[in-house]
Amino acid sequence: MNRAALTSALCYRDPKAALKFLEAAFGFELVMLIEDNEGNLAHSEMSFGDSVVMIGSEWSVQHKSPASIDGFNTQSVHIHLEGDIDAHCQRARAAGAEILMEPADQFYGDRTYRCRDLEGHFWTVGAPVRDVGVEEAEATSGLKVVKGWA
Amino acid sequence: MSSKVLVALRIKAPPLRVFEVFTADIGAWWRPNALFSFTPRSPGVLAFEGTGQGARLVERLPSGRVFEIGSVRVWDPGQRLVFGWRQASFAPGMDTEVEVRFEPVGDETRVTVEHRGWDIVPSEHVARHRFPEAVFLQRHAEWWRALLTSLASRAAMDVKERAREGDA
Repeated sequence: MNRAALTSALCYRDPKAALKFLEAAFGFELVMLIEDNEGNLAHSEMSFGDSVVMIGSEWSVQHKSPASIDGFNTQSVHIHLEGDIDAHCQRARAAGAEILMEPADQFYGDRTYRCRDLEGHFWTVGAPVRDVGVEEAEATSGLKVVKGWA
Repeated sequence: MSSKVLVALRIKAPPLRVFEVFTADIGAWWRPNALFSFTPRSPGVLAFEGTGQGARLVERLPSGRVFEIGSVRVWDPGQRLVFGWRQASFAPGMDTEVEVRFEPVGDETRVTVEHRGWDIVPSEHVARHRFPEAVFLQRHAEWWRALLTSLASRAAMDVKERAREGDA
């Protein structure tokens, strides 16, 4: 398996419940799980497309699930889909995700939605629906694209 | 059985084919790892002797001796394989277990290996190399991931070879 240079690692109070949720909601696949002598999750990885995320416990006093810190997040993971984003959103909703923003077309050409998982992690999900040139993007958003518009 | 590692990988071949390659071709895709040698005289060549429940997974050593790694507890072609796993240094009664599941996903197979029961091997045992539990299990999981990657290459190669034979 090729390993990406960057990988997100998320903390959950109940990481085993998170593994089930992330499979049901987003279609992630468990590719590694390590349990200690007591049956506690020590390490795990789930794959989606060509990437993985690590799902772990609150493994130090400064690693917290949003569920332990009043729902605050200090980062979130973005899921890039190649496919039907409305169906993906329905699947996430059916699995218990709280949909914070329904699927909507964005000025940069993606259709996206945003949700919160069972412990309060925010996830954004996007799929490309049309090509947008830099001039159109700048005109509709009022932003200046400084660098990196493909 | 606690203290376990689980590793899964998608392989581009149908479940029955992957099961066949896993069992019949294990001598070709297995990659020995010095940290997890079965015997002091390893590595040899792995083989399943026989088929079905009661078959044996063995390592045929360069000396000609045959070491039994474990016996097959479940042999369900294309679906599930369970076998015992012990190293020569294990005390009587010390045993771990490997379960391999083969699930169809579209035209691929999701192969899941669950290796469990390391809690029966004490932390001071030579097989643990004085590694802390987490490090030992992480290395073990990484090895299984490498093994499944090798299995995937073998399964894919086999399909191509068969395709060429079909063209001929």
